[in-house]
Amino acid sequence: MKRRIDRRLFLRAASGLAVALPLLPSLRAHGESASPIRRFVTMYTPNGQIHSAWWPTSVVSQTDFALNDIHQPLAAHKSRLTLLKNIDLQTAGSGPGGPHQRGIGTLFTGQYLQTGNFVDGCGSTAGWADGISVDQVIAAQIGQTTPYPSLELGVRATDNDVQGRIAYSGAGAPLPPLTQPLDVYNRIFKDLVVPDQSGAVATDAMLAERQSVLDTVVSQISELETRVSTEDKQKLDAHLTLVRDVERRLAQVPLACAKPAGPAAMDPTSETDMPNIATLEIDLLSIAFACDLVRVASFEVSTGLNRIRYPWLNSMGEGHPLSHMDPADPTAHSELVARAQWHSGLVARLFDNLASVTEGDSTIADNTLLMWSTEVSEGNVHSHTNMPIVLMGGGWHFQSGRFIDCVEGSTNPSHTNLLVTLLNAMGVEQQTFGRAEFCTGPLKALT
Amino acid sequence: MIGLAALGVLACSNAPRTPSPGTPATGGSGGSAGMGTAAMSAGGSSGMSTGGSSGTLACTTTSPGVAPLRLLTHLQYDNTVADLLGDTTRPSQQFPAENVVLGFSNNVAANQVNPTLIAAYQSAAESLAATAVSSRLATLAPCADGAANGECGHTFVTTFGAKVFRRALTANEAANFDALFDATLPSGYPKAIELTLRAMLQSPQFLYRVDALHAPTSESGAIALGADELASRLSYFLTNSTPDDTLLAAAANDQLVSATDIETQARRLLGTTRAKQMAQDFMGQWLGLDQLSGAARQAPDENFGPTELVPDWKSSLGAFIDDAVWNDGTVSGLLTSPKLFLTPKLATLYGVSAPSDPSVPASVPTQRSGLLTQPAIMALLAHSDQSGPVQRGVFVLQQLLCMQVAPPPPNVVAVPPAVDQTATTRERFAQHIADQSCASCHVSLDGIGFGFERYDQLGRYREMENGLPVDDSGQVVGSGDPSLEGPFNGALELSSKLATNETVRSCIATQWYRYAMGRVEDTTDQCSLNDVKARFSSSNGNFRELLVAITLSDAFRYRPALENP
Repeated sequence: MKRRIDRRLFLRAASGLAVALPLLPSLRAHGESASPIRRFVTMYTPNGQIHSAWWPTSVVSQTDFALNDIHQPLAAHKSRLTLLKNIDLQTAGSGPGGPHQRGIGTLFTGQYLQTGNFVDGCGSTAGWADGISVDQVIAAQIGQTTPYPSLELGVRATDNDVQGRIAYSGAGAPLPPLTQPLDVYNRIFKDLVVPDQSGAVATDAMLAERQSVLDTVVSQISELETRVSTEDKQKLDAHLTLVRDVERRLAQVPLACAKPAGPAAMDPTSETDMPNIATLEIDLLSIAFACDLVRVASFEVSTGLNRIRYPWLNSMGEGHPLSHMDPADPTAHSELVARAQWHSGLVARLFDNLASVTEGDSTIADNTLLMWSTEVSEGNVHSHTNMPIVLMGGGWHFQSGRFIDCVEGSTNPSHTNLLVTLLNAMGVEQQTFGRAEFCTGPLKALT
Repeated sequence: MIGLAALGVLACSNAPRTPSPGTPATGGSGGSAGMGTAAMSAGGSSGMSTGGSSGTLACTTTSPGVAPLRLLTHLQYDNTVADLLGDTTRPSQQFPAENVVLGFSNNVAANQVNPTLIAAYQSAAESLAATAVSSRLATLAPCADGAANGECGHTFVTTFGAKVFRRALTANEAANFDALFDATLPSGYPKAIELTLRAMLQSPQFLYRVDALHAPTSESGAIALGADELASRLSYFLTNSTPDDTLLAAAANDQLVSATDIETQARRLLGTTRAKQMAQDFMGQWLGLDQLSGAARQAPDENFGPTELVPDWKSSLGAFIDDAVWNDGTVSGLLTSPKLFLTPKLATLYGVSAPSDPSVPASVPTQRSGLLTQPAIMALLAHSDQSGPVQRGVFVLQQLLCMQVAPPPPNVVAVPPAVDQTATTRERFAQHIADQSCASCHVSLDGIGFGFERYDQLGRYREMENGLPVDDSGQVVGSGDPSLEGPFNGALELSSKLATNETVRSCIATQWYRYAMGRVEDTTDQCSLNDVKARFSSSNGNFRELLVAITLSDAFRYRPALENP
């Protein structure tokens, strides 16, 4: 398949990056079927949403409604947007931990938290989420032929405990996000083998070297495994699996992309750099998708107990405390809606970027599915009912551009049903996800 | 102003948890079992003790500590490659963040490999090896004119490999590297060394600390660690780096066996620069100083950028910690030293005439008393536009008394009351105490926190706020320690009470033990931890003695039999 990359993406990206134009012919043609390449993104923003600015207004039908304030930045992508009402985070209702912890832990895993030493509301404690997250299940399915299985990106996601993790490779195994654009860049591009002008790849000594080094590393792992405890052997097995994965991916055909220049180092804790960091990460992710370096990502903005300001929006309240205020309070309302709009704008930027890249008869935006939600429904009460959830894309699996009330009879379904639908949309054929007692199969409202 | 009272139904009934068995925690709506081992050991009253104490646990036999594979921390990785290769580029800056448990990012259980980290290890190994070979091949892997490159390579494998692995290589390990070297040699000696080094730096024998390298055994009980393993434990605990030549020599010459041997090496290592760095690293994690990064702090009468002072605060506190831990050397000094190490910017801000040399402290005994009154700590425990009485109360209870304080429950407005030019902070926060639903928590938090009202969000000392006199009287309530309970007069008096307090010593011992072991203590640690606390206390809270005591504990010196953990 030919991938034509529109100039605009890279000019936009050039606002922060000096990006070369990757207009090289695709080298991925061999063995690739004609079916489109799908991408998947989970996105988290903290502390719930102001519902009065979230749910659509003037609702006539599922397809005839007006976007509320928070979703205005997505107006151009309304046909890709699906707003789901009356889905509950039922799996956040029990198990160890406080409401923020349980919410973020279960959002993409559908699991309870393990027991542990992380402290949250009223003295409750918890550990990590007790299972794999949906993005990682999808990465195992569709992320195996790309150089990287998934990317974990974060913007001021600087709490390094359960509050700061949305992606899990397994029970108790969180994947930390990269919060520095330069690190993201290096992760994606630093070691890429770049084809020459004609699209040919020079005989690559580097690949061969890496191969032989990793072979030796694998031998050393095996040697050590004979001399440690059973538990440590499991640790080394996990290590070995990851090394083998790196090794296997090395063997893959290199990329049909030129390498952009790297961004400057920034301070991931800086409130002034925060907007630049966020947009750079979105742009880098867009390029990584466009070049088919990765097909799955998670994107985490801040964390549940954050105390950060958004000075470029003139929002000087401290995040989590702000979300505790009455949503009708004028200050809280305007600051939190402004932040949510800015988050919407990040989604819009991603889809603007992806829509500018043609792939066969469609664009990457047409072949991407994103789920955006948060760890509590309303910050001031820490509820887990009627979660604010937006899907973007996924039009190949369900009709997008709708506002859908998902209530089933008088019962709100578990969000794990939605996660099953997402898995199915991404080609993972399973009928349940997360804790089995909550999940009844794919979300009826989207079938 | 935010009306807390306007909230009808609140569930704010949880007082801070009390560690003492005699004072059970009250209320708490979730996770009532909660604290587990962390609370058991907090406050110096775990119900277990050694020897003839009144506890229930008789520590009569050796109590080995669990010894899992431990990934090098980021700091340890950077120090290790600096010491092995002379490379000070700090490759870990590109590693994904470490997971944090109870403040500590070196928690072993929470820090396992992931795909991004494996890729980063690969990338770092490639850079390090390329630099090492291009810049210092002759020292790294010397090969005299006329010598056979193959032999030089195999010598490199066994000699440098032993440094990288922190022990002699097994025959198979050496053979694996030899094979790589030999296969690469046709591309040239430097390239063969480079690839071998890359493989070394990605081997788990390097990336993990292997404390128990033995064939599975049927032995039970406690097994004394071998000399190589002890050398690594000592160096990675006290210096966050690979064993130095002296330590390696001691290990090789049977001079790292007895408690006296260990103590000798420990005291030597405590004299190194790296030990100072270790104390800074520990303090940073214990005190949560990374939260200062990016923290916006401003005052209407100053024109600093929102985070402009952060580097100054950090360097100021760093110098203070160095002085308190290594010069004064005791908890008492840490909590009562009147010294301020000021950058020019801070000296101006605080109206203190600073000596021209920033390493020479100013002394301000009427305004400052130790860690809790340090500018960086007061700025850390604040909001962007005002002081943070609640955070300051939480900090004392949590960091110094090892009590777990929960964030406010749902339905509580946790916003600091808006700044009001006609009232003091204390008056505005008084609402917490007035509202019964909040009082149960906040009488403890604010009671301590108000004692710090003479320090604003920039760490400035003040006696007036908005033209009104500052009232910094406070009270300690629900600390679980009768000797601390009751009213006090300002941060200086509170600090002096804490300075010689046993609960504080016990807490600091527990925190440093967690850092040393890379885990939250569990039942297998109780005897060791009690020994450590006892030694720390009998030394009157001397930090050097605490660190030595940890290295002499059973958990540090012994491991359980492999198949009988």
